[in-house]
Formats: sequence, structure tokens, C-alpha cells
Amino acid sequence: MRLETVWVGRGGQGVVTAVYLIAHASIRDGLYALANPEFGAERRGAPVKAFLTLTDYLEDSPEPIKTPDVAIFLDDKLLEPMKIITDAVKPGGYVLVSSGKEPEKVAELVGRDDVNIAVVDGIGIALKHVKLAVPNAPLAGVFSRVFGFPSLESIRDALEAQLGKAVEANFAAAKEAYESVVVIKAKGAGGAREAVEIPTTSAFLTGPYELVPWQKVNKAGVVYPGSSLRYKTGSWRTEKPIIDHSKCIMCRKCWLFCPDDAVLEVWRDVEKGGKAVRVKEIEFNYDYCKGCGICADVCPTGAITMVREI
Amino acid sequence: MTAELQTAVKQRRIALTGNHAVALAAKMAKVEVVAAYPITPQTPAVERLAEFVNNGELDAEFIPVEGEHSALSAVVGASAAGARVFTATSSQGLGFMYEILPIAVGLRLPIVMGVATRAYSAPINVWGDHSDIMSMRELGWIIYLVSNVQEAFDTVIQAYRVAEDPAVHLPAAVAYDGFWISHTLQPLEVPEDEEAVLKYAPITRSWRQLDVDRPASVGAVGTPEWYFEIRWQAYKALEDSVKVVEAADREYGKLFGRSYGFGSTYRAEDADLIILTYGSIYGVVKKAVDALRERGVRAGAAKLRVLRPWPRDFIRRALGGAGKVLVIDRALNHGGVAGPVATEVAATLAEPVYTAYATIGMRTIDSRGVARAAERVLSGEVRAMEPFTIGLRGGP
Repeated sequence: MRLETVWVGRGGQGVVTAVYLIAHASIRDGLYALANPEFGAERRGAPVKAFLTLTDYLEDSPEPIKTPDVAIFLDDKLLEPMKIITDAVKPGGYVLVSSGKEPEKVAELVGRDDVNIAVVDGIGIALKHVKLAVPNAPLAGVFSRVFGFPSLESIRDALEAQLGKAVEANFAAAKEAYESVVVIKAKGAGGAREAVEIPTTSAFLTGPYELVPWQKVNKAGVVYPGSSLRYKTGSWRTEKPIIDHSKCIMCRKCWLFCPDDAVLEVWRDVEKGGKAVRVKEIEFNYDYCKGCGICADVCPTGAITMVREI
Repeated sequence: MTAELQTAVKQRRIALTGNHAVALAAKMAKVEVVAAYPITPQTPAVERLAEFVNNGELDAEFIPVEGEHSALSAVVGASAAGARVFTATSSQGLGFMYEILPIAVGLRLPIVMGVATRAYSAPINVWGDHSDIMSMRELGWIIYLVSNVQEAFDTVIQAYRVAEDPAVHLPAAVAYDGFWISHTLQPLEVPEDEEAVLKYAPITRSWRQLDVDRPASVGAVGTPEWYFEIRWQAYKALEDSVKVVEAADREYGKLFGRSYGFGSTYRAEDADLIILTYGSIYGVVKKAVDALRERGVRAGAAKLRVLRPWPRDFIRRALGGAGKVLVIDRALNHGGVAGPVATEVAATLAEPVYTAYATIGMRTIDSRGVARAAERVLSGEVRAMEPFTIGLRGGP
């Protein structure tokens, strides 16, 4: 038996813990595991990738996985930018996704009908049991259901060892996901697919670095001024703020407290008493809003609410 | 055969990362003083030891120092007073300890240090290569290079027995790949009864120098009339420690069922080309060898486990019969003739070897890249003793 899996999520979603959980639980069930997280920028929201190979014989090579049997996404917003990973899954393999969207919609995002697709609302389940938007325990439950291992009992043991706290809450989340996962079976035999591989260099660097030979890299690795405007950190959100303008009193507390400068005042043409007037309104810059929810917390009139996005 | 595999010590199978396995080994060895400063990728090892001390699972002094220079200084003092000590570091942290590294040797203190290997700055790179550990080759430490989590655990325990042997009394470093071992979770077997570890490596305090009943001054001046002789004692002790390293490994094998020698070989008997490396990538090299064999190329693999004392007999035995030898080094030997290990292998065999650099700054390596390197050697595309690269864009 050999199952090669690649896990994708963001810093703070528990990707590393997720692979440690499944590895630990599988080892407890008598298998061999090699959980090999790829550490990049250790920053909340930044994409994180981890490899996990499960075998019933000793495997001690940390070779990166190129054509996984399984790809697991802790964040459906990564399906598009990390398409290379779902494309590399072997025909007949599996894509497991944590998403609040309809399973059919997720299947559309995956864009393949020759792989099995399992969907669970990992964040919804985690928020319910653990009160945190961390879908790793739910995905451990999904993994157990889809592959028949590791056992739920071993997952509980792994939660104990890897987390050491909130074990029962996380276990309840794993169990609910185990029971509620929806699987869309693969159709067809895959046909003539062009073989795709996950590149062996880190998948999360920006720019065409793979084209730059050592002779052309900046001397001493010097970095020249750039702009963080290029990094649309809004993709990290699990929830986004929406505003009810009829309740807004333009106190601007949200603007004052927003840590990302993502609350904007915009002029808007509206009709008032039959006359066209220009008024100022609060809007959000969703390119950079990370969905922290501070604006909703400080709003004195309850005009701002947070809604789930993934 | 089966009877031989049964170990004298009952063991249980658990799952740990390399860092946590190293911490558990130090705990089972009942270390009495731990002083360390956190640095990626070593941090979880000392965090776990701090937890053991805090929870009362380990009766030790944990000294939260302000930097690595103090960390090693603190364990030097504690070791001189006869305590069994542990510290761990990586990269720049090891660099910051550098002043004290040869002092631990000159004072003949059996300090055991974990090194989660990592590249040196600049630019900052927290990832694993072997630049740090290779920079302490000439200082007199015993240096192990391990290949997986199980070996990291076993080797820390062996290191205490070797370092504290009265014929040795030298510090020992156990180097395990940053991330590819330190943060990789694997199954491993550990003794059910921790006392078995103490029975294997009892704390004898044979190295104690500071004793109120027998006052002495250590580290005092060694004038040109004395220094050479005193340092030669340490030089000779490291050279002769080969026998102790071997015996400690054999004895460990008898009790715990696992021994590693100075290294090992894979499909090397009839090989036209043997690829030697060290650390976690041995598994990748073995895979490359399998792929080459399938294509009819008689390739073999070898790994080096003990860097100091240099195991010349093992190197001659393992590589002497091969037509060609390719050494994959994981630290740049700036300005040198070849990779750090390649240089010594060539000197030992008194023959040129092929020398490649890979995994620098934790550049990914795969078995295809290794197989391609082997083919470049066999086709004559690269020349012996002329360094080439695996995975460097635009590189030779």
C-alpha cells in the first residue's frame, strides 16, 4: 500500500497539524508515515503545502510528491491559484475540499471529472465545535471516512498527542465531518490526459524565478523597492464584512480601527427627496481586507456584519 | 534470524518529529542541565525539553540563556562540575557558539549537542542544508550525521555513551536535517522502560573536573611549552574514539535492535558507480539507484553517518571496489578543491572522485535529479574533482 497525499491551506488553518494528525493516527494503526511539511513564509494567511506519504512498509525518502493520489484543500479559494496540484492528481484519485459551497460548485472549481471529489464544510463544523475557523480536525475525519483509515479512535489519540488541548471539541468536529462528507464519484477512466506534475521547487514563490539562472540573480540577493500593493491579501479571508448603509451613522470607527486600511469612504450619487445628491458612504476594499471582523465589533449601530466566504 | 531480531529491551512504537525525538532521547538519558536558545529549525526540541522540566517529567536545570554563546558556556560549566548536559542549535546559533566550541574540546567535556542543520545567512535562509555542521569539522567534536527520526533518537543516546567514555571525554554533535528530519514526523521505536537507557549509558561523572573536595583550576593558560601536548591528547582521543563509537553502536544494537555503523551501503557490491551522501537524502539516492538499476546501470549508494572521527576504514571498505565514486555534498566548500566530504573521500581513497553540490539552502532534490547526475558522471560529461551541481539554475 502506498498513498501519496498533498495538503494545501494557509498559515493559521492548521495544515501542518493536519498532516501530523493523520500521520500519527496512521502510525498508531500500524502503518508507516512520512509527514513532511513545506515551511515557507511563516505568516498567517500565506499558502502552506505539506506532503504526507502513507505506506505499509518503511519509507524514509523525503522526496517531494509530484503526482499525488490525493490532494486536500483546507481553503477552496486556493483551488484556482493552486490548480497545478489538482491537475497533478492521478486519474481515479481524490480531491478533498473544505468548503461551505455546494459540492457541485466545488467540483466545478476542481474542474475534473476523472477524480473523486469529497466536500465538507470544514470551517462551519470547526466554528461550531472548536469556535475557530481551523478545518484540520474535520478534514482528518473526512480522510478517515474516504480511505477507511486511520480509525477515529486513533485520530482521537493523535489529537491528544498533537494538540494536547480542546481534544473533545476537535474530535467532535472530526466525527461530524466523518458523517457529513459528500463524495462525488469519478466519471470515466480519465481518457487521454496530459500528465501534469507538481513542480519540485516551492510552489509559493512569486515571479518567474525558475527562469533566472544564478548568473542573473541580484548580487548578494539585494532586494530593491517594490510594493505590497501587489499582494492581494484579501484572498486570505474566511469571512467578509458587509454594510447596511441605512444603519450607518458615518462615525468612521470602522475606518479608525481597521488594521489594513481596507475601510474606504466613497462618494456616491443618490436620490434624496427627488433631488440628486452626492453623499459619503463606507465601503470595503476587498482586495486587502483580511476579514478580521474588528469593524463589525466596533460598529456602534450593528451596520456591519461578517458573512462566510469559503 | 528471528531470534537475533528480538531485542533485549522491550520497546514501543510511537510517532514523533525529529526535534521531539531528540528531546525525548535527551530526557531518557536523564540529562541534568539543559541550556539552549531557540532558533529555527531547532526550536521545538528545546521547547519540548522545557516542557519536560516544567511538568516534572525530567529532573533537570533548564537555563533560559540570552543567546547561544551563553548556552554553550553554561553547559561547559555544568559539565565541568560533572553534570550530564544537553544543548541544541542551528546555523547562526552555532556560529554564535563558535568561540566556545573548541573550549569544550580542550576542557574534555562530554557535552552532547543536537544540531538541526540549517544554511548560513546571508541571505537569511531558515531551511536545512549542512553549512553549519560542516563549519565545525576541525574543532575536535565527535560529529554524527543522521538520516531519519529513529536514527536521530538512537544516536543522541549513543552519543552520551561515547562522549562520556573515559578514553574519549569529548563533546559530540548529532546533526539532523533541518525540516527534512527536524519537522518530519515518522514512526520510531523507543524503550518502554527508560531505565534501559541509563543502563546502557550510566552517568559515571568520570569527566568531572570541578569538585570542592579536590579544588582545581580548569582552562588556565597553556603556554607554548604545554599547549601542543595538551591539545594532542584531545586530537588522539578523537582519533582513537573510532573504536568506542563502533563498540557503543554494536552494544546499542544488541540491546535495542538497531545499529548503524559508520555508515551503510545499498546495492553497492558490484557497482560501477557508488553515490555517497549523508542525512535525510540517502533515501532519495537509494531510489535513484533503483531507477538506474532498472535501466541496467550498475549503481550503488552509500551513506556517511560519522563525520568525526573520520571513518577511513569504512570509507575504504565501502567505496574501494567501485569503479567510480560520486559524492553529493550539502554544504559549499567555498574556495576549496571539492565538496567537504568529497575532499576527504578522495584523500582517503587516494583517488579522484566526482563531486556534486545539492540541497543548498534546502533546494529540493529528487531521485530523477540524482539519477541524471549519475548519468553525467558515467557519460564523461563531468570530470572528477571538478564540482558540479544538482538543482542549481544555470549551474555546472
